[in-house]
Amino acid sequence: MKVGRRSFLSFIIGGAAGTALSPLPWKLTDDLSIWTQMWPWTPVPKDGAVSYAGSTCTLCPAGCGINVRMVDRRAVKIEGMEGHPINDGGICILGLSGLQLLYGPTRVKSPMKRAGNRGSGRWVSISWEEALEEVAGKLTEIRAQGRPEALAVFSGKRRGTVPALLSRFMTAFGSPNFVTAASTQDSYELALHRMQGVQAAAGLDLANTDFLLSFGSGILDGWGSPVRMFKAHSALKDGGGKLVQIEPRLSNTAAKADQWISIQPGTEAALAFGLAHVIILEKRYRTQFVSEYGGEFEEFRQMVMADYTPDKVAKITGIDPKTIVTLAREFSRSSAPLAVCGKGGGDTPGSMNEFFAVHALNALVGGINRPGGIWAVPEPGDFGWPDPEMDETAARGMQQDRLDGAGAPPYVATAALPNRFFEAVAGGKGYPLDALFVVESNPCFTEPDPETVKAAFSKIPFVVSFSSFMDETAQNADLILPNHVYLERYEDVPNPAGFNRPFVGLVQPVVDPQFNTRNVGDAVIALAQGVGDPVASAFGWDGYEACLEEAYPDQWDSLTSEGYWMAEDFDPAPWPEAFETASGKFEFVPEGLQRGYVPAEIAGEKGGFPLVLTPYDTMRISSGYVGNPPFMTKTVPAEVLKGKELLVELNPQTADQLGFSEGGRAVLTTPTGAANVRVHLYDGIMPGLVAMARGLGHTAYDKYLADKGTNVNRLIGPTADPVSGLNAAWGIRAKLTRA
Amino acid sequence: MKQERPKKFGMVIDLDKCTGCGACLVACMSENNVPFKPDESDKLTSITWMRVYQLNNGKPYPETDICYLPRPCQHCEGDHGHSPCVSVCPATATDYGMETGIVSQIYTRCFGCRYCMAACPYHARYFNWWDPVWPDGMEKYLNPSVSVRMRGVVEKCSFCYHRYQTAKDKAIYQFAEGERDSTDLEEDEYQTACTQACPAGAIIFGDLNNPSHRVHQIAQPDEKHAGRPKNPKAFRLLERLGTNPKVYYLSSRDWVRRAGDNYLEGEGKLKRH
Amino acid sequence: MSTVDEHEKDMPSEDSGGKGPPPPDPEQKNKATAYVIFFFFVGLIASLIVGWIIFPQLLYSQKEQPIDFNHALHNELVGDCASCHYFREDGTFSGVPDLWSCIDCHMDVQGEDPEEEKFVTEYVWEDREVPWLIYSKQPDCVFFSHAAHVLSGGMDCVTCHGHIGESEHSKVYQENRITGYSRDIWGRNISGFKRNSWDRMKMDDCADCHEEARDSATKDEPRAPVGRVIDNIIRVAFPGTYADNRGGSVQTQRGACFKCHK
Repeated sequence: MKVGRRSFLSFIIGGAAGTALSPLPWKLTDDLSIWTQMWPWTPVPKDGAVSYAGSTCTLCPAGCGINVRMVDRRAVKIEGMEGHPINDGGICILGLSGLQLLYGPTRVKSPMKRAGNRGSGRWVSISWEEALEEVAGKLTEIRAQGRPEALAVFSGKRRGTVPALLSRFMTAFGSPNFVTAASTQDSYELALHRMQGVQAAAGLDLANTDFLLSFGSGILDGWGSPVRMFKAHSALKDGGGKLVQIEPRLSNTAAKADQWISIQPGTEAALAFGLAHVIILEKRYRTQFVSEYGGEFEEFRQMVMADYTPDKVAKITGIDPKTIVTLAREFSRSSAPLAVCGKGGGDTPGSMNEFFAVHALNALVGGINRPGGIWAVPEPGDFGWPDPEMDETAARGMQQDRLDGAGAPPYVATAALPNRFFEAVAGGKGYPLDALFVVESNPCFTEPDPETVKAAFSKIPFVVSFSSFMDETAQNADLILPNHVYLERYEDVPNPAGFNRPFVGLVQPVVDPQFNTRNVGDAVIALAQGVGDPVASAFGWDGYEACLEEAYPDQWDSLTSEGYWMAEDFDPAPWPEAFETASGKFEFVPEGLQRGYVPAEIAGEKGGFPLVLTPYDTMRISSGYVGNPPFMTKTVPAEVLKGKELLVELNPQTADQLGFSEGGRAVLTTPTGAANVRVHLYDGIMPGLVAMARGLGHTAYDKYLADKGTNVNRLIGPTADPVSGLNAAWGIRAKLTRA
Repeated sequence: MKQERPKKFGMVIDLDKCTGCGACLVACMSENNVPFKPDESDKLTSITWMRVYQLNNGKPYPETDICYLPRPCQHCEGDHGHSPCVSVCPATATDYGMETGIVSQIYTRCFGCRYCMAACPYHARYFNWWDPVWPDGMEKYLNPSVSVRMRGVVEKCSFCYHRYQTAKDKAIYQFAEGERDSTDLEEDEYQTACTQACPAGAIIFGDLNNPSHRVHQIAQPDEKHAGRPKNPKAFRLLERLGTNPKVYYLSSRDWVRRAGDNYLEGEGKLKRH
Repeated sequence: MSTVDEHEKDMPSEDSGGKGPPPPDPEQKNKATAYVIFFFFVGLIASLIVGWIIFPQLLYSQKEQPIDFNHALHNELVGDCASCHYFREDGTFSGVPDLWSCIDCHMDVQGEDPEEEKFVTEYVWEDREVPWLIYSKQPDCVFFSHAAHVLSGGMDCVTCHGHIGESEHSKVYQENRITGYSRDIWGRNISGFKRNSWDRMKMDDCADCHEEARDSATKDEPRAPVGRVIDNIIRVAFPGTYADNRGGSVQTQRGACFKCHK
């Protein structure tokens, strides 16, 4: 049989007919179209039972309550906790992005040991046993040499059980070098200490304030407890209250304020005196307070009346004298006025002269410990732990001077001086360090002039990071003992920033640990046991959880059921009992205010650096220990970050003088460093200023954050405040040249 | 079961309270599985269902003023549901729901012609130029209530419609169990993710048809004039286009209210009736 | 490229055949026609076999459930579907039970069944969820409310899921290799026709039922399925043709798309 052409064609036609009559083409077409609608590589989130797990956010010092939405064992969304005393359902942009940190690619997944040179990024995973053994071995060696002070700890937090454990460890080990990061809160504490004689945190009774006068504080830019501040601002709007913002740049706070008063930066204290002048002149102060509880008020009055007339203050601050008079009248006329200071997000402690001046203003209108004013909130206790037993080595070590000079003249009242610590180590002052622990902080990025921090690191042979993330500091460490992320661990958050009642928030694990990490608390206890007695005997707990529960015997029930404990019926000490100064009165002229307004100096001379660079904070960029999660970076406007280039703000008039147009490339030089930037023309900034967002310019982390923009801390070195010794740099002189 | 009265979900955003903090953007991204790329600084290709614009009064220092304006999908009703995007979609992929007043987007139906994007005067629609990619492990936080979009389709704000569905399911269950009298939802049972998150309380969400809901009370929509607000502080974006949007804005500043629409040069102050 | 060479090659063969083609032999012609018809049918039948029998075999993969589950037995013991497939308190439907629901009875091996032993030892004791294959798994773009259908609509399980509750063994799970859907969604009858309401679970099937429900609610004469299909095409292609705006959708004059899509 020979198959001819016709037969073949016939076969094909038959086949075609049969195919058309079969489901094959139709089903295939349909299936293919479905396939194109649901690519197999598009992830399909797994469904399950929905539940909510409550906890406390630790990503900033605000202490907000969070509710994490769980689908089976996955955390899918973080929401604000309704009815929580601090944030009542609200939540900030960073809190919302928390799951990107939990599940993110920048986490350190197990203990790591450096394999190559420091900072080369070559690591080997090791077990916890090996890691702890290595650290304990090193510590034993240091003690055996009889110089326990050669160990230092740098902690991002000063309050709570974890810093307390670290501090206890240092005491039992024998080193005074327990250093904590500083912020506006420290300056406030110092102001309360010097002027009221109390050891207390500053609490703001925002619920009752009807006039909020902010000396450059980023009320709506991350200052204090952001969500609480936002809610307070909205309440002011609803209740007919007023917010006045004093700063040289139209920040978000200034834009939302009822009045924005631009001021020569660094002269805020002078304005506070000018306001005091008007208030005293027109007898608008709270007479009862001033006469009965005003210490050295006559001195204060004379100083203010002589040197701070509206005209004189106008010359210093650049504010119209009429504006000063009107502002003073409005402020003092309000039923519950409150003045706050501490610039931007409050990460820089600032000038004590300014804090004293502003606090005196609050006292003048009777706002100390009064509704709507500023309250002294007692510090949490020492958890009732018995003092650790110290052997001879420890006792000798503890007698050594702290490397940062805190607690010793002239900075007697300051708890820690991070800026001076790194300067001392880098400059080889005092004795050398053999080991450094870095806990919940990233000084290689967040401290002013991180190059000095890195230089200090290079002088320390053994650096251990406890970071959950591969940040700049972890990159420069020798060993990483990764902490759980806050959603995986227990912790306490006592006295959230600016809250006006004794309060403790409880951080509780909502998911199982994703990686081979351990709570720092547990790691410290294990290390103490590794070092052996007498250090070990000071850490008799089975683990951190037991220690935490023991630290809050009376509050534990409330902590676990509500997620927080609050002294509901707390009232601040009434005036007769409020002041523990030598005179028993409020000190209007503490040391540091005796010479009146002292300009907050910045580095650089005007000739070579005609401009002034100031950093600014925004809610959309996290500038602290935690790097910006991808969601937040996504919200950064193109006027701040374009591709990998950062834009600095410049007044169009200044830009014109310098020959810059929108988007122009420039080199920004300061006495501390230089960076390539682009220029964004912004009408809302004082001519002569350059403003730069804080928090960009990471070199560590992932492709969503690394190498974007410039770290402003790199351009601004610290300036030590003469009273506190803390960093008071609000800016630096700069020049901008065309690139 | 009796037929429920049609709802008209809408929003009032108080621009005096909005601080431009961006929490609504991230609340939305986190709730709705919006992806992210290594570089999101090209805002034309950056998908943000909720977007916050910065307006300025155009005056030099120190008279400068800025205002932030969050812009979700405006869920235009147009003329009887013929909103700009719905009327042009050749694929029936976007639709106006008469029972809720929500403009839907069905990703699997969309074939990516982007006609709707051209039609939308608010730039509220976004095109997926690339497949979404989450770094290894991060897909764990994806929300199963919202499907992940693929390359080649348009997406936009849905007023968190899945939250409506979830709340409805709960109401039906509770009704069946005798725990409630009807399956009608209370005002607080259905709220969008941005409303819930906003730390300033600037966003209010609810049924514009329901006189007991805050959105109705604040915006005071005038049904005789296509929902135009009777509250003198309130305005809608590009109201004069006749899109009849369901997002109302409040501002006490004249220049902000005026920035909400386009006016001819020299055109006098717009009289409100 | 020129084809001259090829022609030259062809030419001699034609020459050798004599002058032109030979007169057609009627018998030969009949034979040729028969061949043609024969091959037509060969092609037809072969492609029908391919299309109807081989293609479905190739299209679907065959997977066994990890445990051979006896629905009938469990149903007899616990009484109804809702004991295991229940509504959660938030109104969502639990679907396939998780290990936690089974542990009450199956903490230890109870009977003789090797499948049960396998379940207890390999899953319960190991605290490992059983990776059940779900016959009625809808794609991710679908939002289906069990509450609306069962609690409000009063539908029973069988309408959509068939008599699975009476089965003594788990049937083979067949997955469409292209779409990844279960065969029970569409494809049990490869031609697409269905005998029972539970034979298919595609969008058209949802629509069928909803149209019927709507027609009966508005007391319209129930329309034949074909009529509805044509109607639908007209409604979608030419919106506004029908004045009756009975549905929630502006586009389709029916239910709004978001009702069932996410």
